[in-house]
Amino acid sequence: MTQLDKHDLNRILRHISAIMVENRELLCKLDAEMGDGDLGLTMSKAFPAAEKEAVESDETDLGKLMARCGMKMNSAAPSTMGTLMSSGFVYAGKALAGKTVVDLEDFAKFYRLFADGIANRGKAARGERTVLDALYPAADAAEQALSEGADIAGIASAALAAAEYGLEATKDMLPRYGKAAPFIASAKGKIDQGAFVGKLFAQGIASALTDPRKD
Amino acid sequence: MKKILNTPEGYVNDMLAGIYAAHADMVRPVGDNLRCYQTAHKTPGKVAIITGGGSGHLPLFLGYVGKGILDGCAVGGVFQSPSAEEIYEITKAVDNGAGVLYLFGNYSGDILNFEMAGELADMDGIKTCILVGNDDVASAAKGSESVRRGVAGIFFMYKCAGAKADEMASLEDVKALAEKVGSRVRTMGFALSPCIIPEVGHPNFTVGEDQISIGMGIHGEPGIRVAPMLTAQEIAKEALDAILLDMPFGPSEQAAVLINGLGSTPLDELYILYNEVAKILKQRGIDVFKVWVGEFATSMEMAGASVSVLRLDDEIKALLSKPAHTPFYSNPQLED
Repeated sequence: MTQLDKHDLNRILRHISAIMVENRELLCKLDAEMGDGDLGLTMSKAFPAAEKEAVESDETDLGKLMARCGMKMNSAAPSTMGTLMSSGFVYAGKALAGKTVVDLEDFAKFYRLFADGIANRGKAARGERTVLDALYPAADAAEQALSEGADIAGIASAALAAAEYGLEATKDMLPRYGKAAPFIASAKGKIDQGAFVGKLFAQGIASALTDPRKD
Repeated sequence: MKKILNTPEGYVNDMLAGIYAAHADMVRPVGDNLRCYQTAHKTPGKVAIITGGGSGHLPLFLGYVGKGILDGCAVGGVFQSPSAEEIYEITKAVDNGAGVLYLFGNYSGDILNFEMAGELADMDGIKTCILVGNDDVASAAKGSESVRRGVAGIFFMYKCAGAKADEMASLEDVKALAEKVGSRVRTMGFALSPCIIPEVGHPNFTVGEDQISIGMGIHGEPGIRVAPMLTAQEIAKEALDAILLDMPFGPSEQAAVLINGLGSTPLDELYILYNEVAKILKQRGIDVFKVWVGEFATSMEMAGASVSVLRLDDEIKALLSKPAHTPFYSNPQLED
């Protein structure tokens, strides 16, 4: 597989949504330890809203469609994390505007675009115990895999593995942002709940693209 | 949970439908989205001011939309930010061609959404700028003002910015004035009991029986400390000690004072509190120009109050004295 079309985008969003919904309780639990405990609710609202938009829209420009999915996500879940994730789609969508298929290089680049959109909106960087600590390692790995000649499934798998590794590394990071910031003392040894969302995101993409069942 | 509602999910939209039904002459939705709230009164060429934030704080935020004050408000779910798209829709509806000031409380979700809306408006050629209220002196130490929460004191920013915009000042001037007011207002809050988000159904934080949470935020954010219940005199002293230490008054500078009820505290108690505030201000030689006592920024059925103090100058006094009128708030023309 070396390119993605609208059908693939729908499938990716469906897989991410399903994974967010499956992990709703776990996300709420992780968030309650370090914040206000509604992360599972917002993520399980946000991604299905994007999926619904993608399925119902007849937009063929994948960049525009991605940006619209982002806006719908934001409307469904305008919390901080919902808005940050939607910013990733809006930013990546703008960069990919005009494309009706996403080729191998665009796909490898998507992870970094998505992370940059979040970093710009949230004014955060790597190493600050956020979703970016799963997404940027995924972006590095995706680009590395591309340069080594991987196909789309290979890129997605490499990105997921790196996101998992990045998630583990948040256990040693101190929170600086959002509602987790007051919990510095209790952060040590725990994964960051935002980075966990980033890992689930990469997992959704990988599961959509490595699943041999074509739907 | 015992609340007057039909369903917890319908809480916000049913509340809004009621407001539109009661005050159709003054406010209306943008299109058919009830959460996009705008004044019925437009002035061509005037800078428009939009606020927004979570529901559960009436009359904050939408209650300051009307004549002589704000032009629109994006209404979120209870204690949740409105979406960027809603803010953008209101921006298009209320812009009078002179640009739009986004003026709201310093909360991360709201900031992200207003920033995103501003970028969308920019693509339509509508100029916007952002200013946040951060008056809650208890929420961060002096020197870290930029991370303080916005609470009841934003009322003074609304009032003065609205009056300035009515003078047909430019967007830059309206923003600069609002910024000046914001830099001269401090608030300290006290919570006696928690509140219940309808969709949650039970309080998600607690204030102990016989206890007072000093500095608690209007979403139950932790304050400075929890103490055994204080007298009105002790509350006033605690509030003014914190406020006046953070923002000392110069000789002969006057104050405006806002005593705000958090939702289920009777007016009687608010006046008991003001009486003590007035005594302390008098002792400290600070003359009070004007006082507001009532509910301005609530937290559902939370019991408690906040004290806001605004350090005046001639320009702010003149703007505070201008008339304003909304379904929730009226200010007659004062002599200044």
